[in-house]
Amino acid sequence: MASPRIVQQGIKQVKPLMSVDRTEARRRVLNLYKAWYRQIPYVVKDFYLPITVKMGRDKVRELFLKNKHVTDIRIIDMLVIKGQMDLVETANIWKQRNHVMMFFKDTVNPKPKDFLSKFYEGQE
Amino acid sequence: MKGMKVKTDSPVTRKAREGVMEFLLVNHPLDCPICDQGGECDLQDQSMAFGSDRSRFTDNAFTGKRAVEDKNIGPLIKTIMTRCIHCTRCIRFASEVAGVDDLGTSGRGSDMQVGTYVEKMFKSELSGNVIDLCPVGALTSKPYAFTTRPWETRRIESIDVMDAVGSNIVVSMRTNEVMRILPRLNEDINEEWISDKSRFAYDGLKRQRLTTPFVRNNSGELVATDWETALFDIAQRVKDANPATIAGVAGGQADLEAMVCLKDMINRLGSEVLCTEEAFPMINSGTDFRSNYVMNTTIAGIEESDLVFLVGTNPRLEGSLVNARIRKSWVHNEMCVVLLGAPVDLSYDYQYLGDSFSVLKEIADGSHPIAKALADADKPMIILGSDAIQHNNGSLILDTVKRIAKNTKKSLNHPDWKVFNVLHRNASQVGALDMGYKPGMDSLKCDKPSLLFLLGADADKLNNDDLHGNAGVIYIGSHGDAGAQMADVVLPAAAYTEKDAMYVNTEGRAQVGRQAVSPPGMARHDWKIIRALSEILGVSLPYDKLSDVRGRLAEISPTFDRPGRVEETGFDNVSDDVTIDKITHTGATAPVVPALLKLRDFYMTDPISRSSLTMAKCVQAYDEAEANPYSKPEAI
Amino acid sequence: MLSAFCRAVVSAANQQVRTISCSAAVSGGHSFVHRDTPGNNPDTPFEFTPENLKRCETIIANYPKGHEAAACIPLLDLAQRQNNNWLPISAMHKVSEMLKMPRMRVYEVATFYTMFNREPVGKYFVQICTTTPCMLGGVGSDVILDAIRENLGIDVGQTTEDKMFTLTEVECLGACVNAPMVQINDDYYEDLTVDDMNRILNELKQGKKPKAGPQSGQNHRFASEPKTGLTALTETPTGPGFGVRADL
Repeated sequence: MASPRIVQQGIKQVKPLMSVDRTEARRRVLNLYKAWYRQIPYVVKDFYLPITVKMGRDKVRELFLKNKHVTDIRIIDMLVIKGQMDLVETANIWKQRNHVMMFFKDTVNPKPKDFLSKFYEGQE
Repeated sequence: MKGMKVKTDSPVTRKAREGVMEFLLVNHPLDCPICDQGGECDLQDQSMAFGSDRSRFTDNAFTGKRAVEDKNIGPLIKTIMTRCIHCTRCIRFASEVAGVDDLGTSGRGSDMQVGTYVEKMFKSELSGNVIDLCPVGALTSKPYAFTTRPWETRRIESIDVMDAVGSNIVVSMRTNEVMRILPRLNEDINEEWISDKSRFAYDGLKRQRLTTPFVRNNSGELVATDWETALFDIAQRVKDANPATIAGVAGGQADLEAMVCLKDMINRLGSEVLCTEEAFPMINSGTDFRSNYVMNTTIAGIEESDLVFLVGTNPRLEGSLVNARIRKSWVHNEMCVVLLGAPVDLSYDYQYLGDSFSVLKEIADGSHPIAKALADADKPMIILGSDAIQHNNGSLILDTVKRIAKNTKKSLNHPDWKVFNVLHRNASQVGALDMGYKPGMDSLKCDKPSLLFLLGADADKLNNDDLHGNAGVIYIGSHGDAGAQMADVVLPAAAYTEKDAMYVNTEGRAQVGRQAVSPPGMARHDWKIIRALSEILGVSLPYDKLSDVRGRLAEISPTFDRPGRVEETGFDNVSDDVTIDKITHTGATAPVVPALLKLRDFYMTDPISRSSLTMAKCVQAYDEAEANPYSKPEAI
Repeated sequence: MLSAFCRAVVSAANQQVRTISCSAAVSGGHSFVHRDTPGNNPDTPFEFTPENLKRCETIIANYPKGHEAAACIPLLDLAQRQNNNWLPISAMHKVSEMLKMPRMRVYEVATFYTMFNREPVGKYFVQICTTTPCMLGGVGSDVILDAIRENLGIDVGQTTEDKMFTLTEVECLGACVNAPMVQINDDYYEDLTVDDMNRILNELKQGKKPKAGPQSGQNHRFASEPKTGLTALTETPTGPGFGVRADL
């Protein structure tokens, strides 16, 4: 009697993480975004970051937009939770300067691979 | 006594040792915190191991502790004679190894002093070794004074390139800076000594350095630029040049890796013109056989010899440790030394044959008494200096000396003993010849190169007249010296302490030097510069890693693959028998004299020592000593 | 109890007070480093006289060939005798040249032996022994030393203005049994009293040569025999073969 169980599994209601529908999820995302947006000037100041407030906000926007393709509400919720954790850690200065600047890491040039570019870089 | 028990660590022994230590320290200042020997002081070690933790010394007569006046014995050795414990190691070194009886004791008992009695410079090319010998801080290095503590430095084992002896050294490094250079024990080469140039020229590594590529602009000035621009500039010049007349010259301190890369690149570009700065006559078998151009008997082999015949060389200044070895044999083995050349001070007695070539000819003909002495000797050695080879009639001299060697060999009881030896001056020479570089720049001058690569070639033996009309000169090297001055493109490279590199000494012994510090500024390792350039020129060399280059070296010669070992040369009999060229006596022959005659000439011979302040001070001190009546050579 | 207290106080005081340190006095006031002076530099003229040169050759010939350095001490001594009792640096150089030895080795010998004077001294070089036996024997060397000081008007280590006398204090000269004693140039004057000392010095000043040997301190004895005459070895010395077995 295996088939009924499979059917049961198929129609099982997924338990929501936080949000019950897309509107709620969207609200949570926007709230988080606003919180980050407001926090950025303090972050720049507290950590004495070598960036402007605008650069920080642009980075927040960029990181949010990076996940704009996500439609699953549970995943959105999870991302929001992680974003909140990051925010708390940043706001409380549990992070250190270099941890915050990690968000900007992709501006660093990749390590040279071939001989000539290694030579120009002066790296082994 | 049978069954006697000797206790070496009982409370009584320990107390006795403590007592002895206390007595020693009564006459020794307790200034370890400001003493340069601190951390490597034998007395400090003994005191830590056996001494008490406090002193009972009270100055009953209120006269103060023993104090001795410091001596001024030159710009290399700093003396704080109060610290001297009268072990007389420095005196014995000066008298027995260096052969300069300048140091001694004056006075007696508690008033005894170690010094020179009169104020004079300790004039020896090996003087720095007394610093290592001194168990306490009485003799320390003047340039190194108050710079680092031994425990702060990292010690890197490397090879010296100031001469062709290939002394083993330890480079002490801190904060990417060479702090000092010490000898490393190698009984086959330098024993435990190094020459003053090897030891003290290191401050030349921080001066006159090339730290960025330069390209000569239209108004004839060298302008600093980046690597890409410089390399593309060279690419343009290579394109314009006639590939068959692109030439390369390896300088005196070039390493094997760079030389093999340069050779492979230039060969790939379609040229065969590669040469070294020091010439060697290509008569008969030329440099085809290794036995023709290395020190066949090896440096340690000098101790077996009973007669050394020096031709046109001053080993004391051209290879100080070879000379120390000859002196050692002269002292202990009653070896005879015969010299043809300039009547220089070799620190031992020798029979002087004058500086005329005709004597050499007489010996070859057997009409000179030395010919008989050579024939009668058990293991005779003939050491031919590089200046004699580069003489105007070098081929004649070489041929005659080879003939003498051949004649001598006939009457030899030891069939394996090789009589003929060459003492080179440059660390790169033997390696370059092993690799197939042509010795000397005569062939290059004939070819009128259209593009010239100088690999650290600073001997200033070329000028623009030797080149094709608008030929470009590319200099790859570490110092802004003669080579960089005539260059159109200057590429900054690493000096010997800044690269993992191999060198072959005058015995034909390949040795690995290791990188102690990183090259300054934009300077790069020599072989990498050539490898990068080859890629831009479209003739990429197939090695990306040092191990690949070493692999290529091993392909060329197995001797490169066995660092530290000296391969016995073969075919020396065959090479002696090759007589292709008819050598004619052309005109009058100039005297066979070496270039380095006085200690003054010794100090500044290569780009590094020429940039060194310490070496300049030595030259200055030498000149001052000339005026000192006490420094006059003694009639002994 | 009291002494312990005193010690404690003294040692406490010692710990509190830092002494000013100064270099130790060099014995005899001689420096063991040479410094050129107008009278003593490498250009100071020094040549052996022809007679002494002949002597040098004889001395050098005493030693095997190749070991000429063994003649260093006699030659230096000869040079000193020739040169008013002192050795200029040029004399050391001359000796090193004659013996084919490094100069430093000659300096070593000349500085080691206190009998070589490396600075000019007076015509009469008065060496008074102040070692314990001389200090205690007879009238004692302290008295004699004071007498010399008073007579010559110089202190130990000094030379009189007329360059006639130099006074130095030396350790045992091996004439303890005839204490106190002084050595003036090559002569020993023993069994001294203050009067003897003054007489000797005055005679020297007058250019006379006082009789060397024991003076009045022990009643002008011949050598070092007891005051009361010999107590042993009184008989005539026996000849050779004394006490030997008859069959030998």
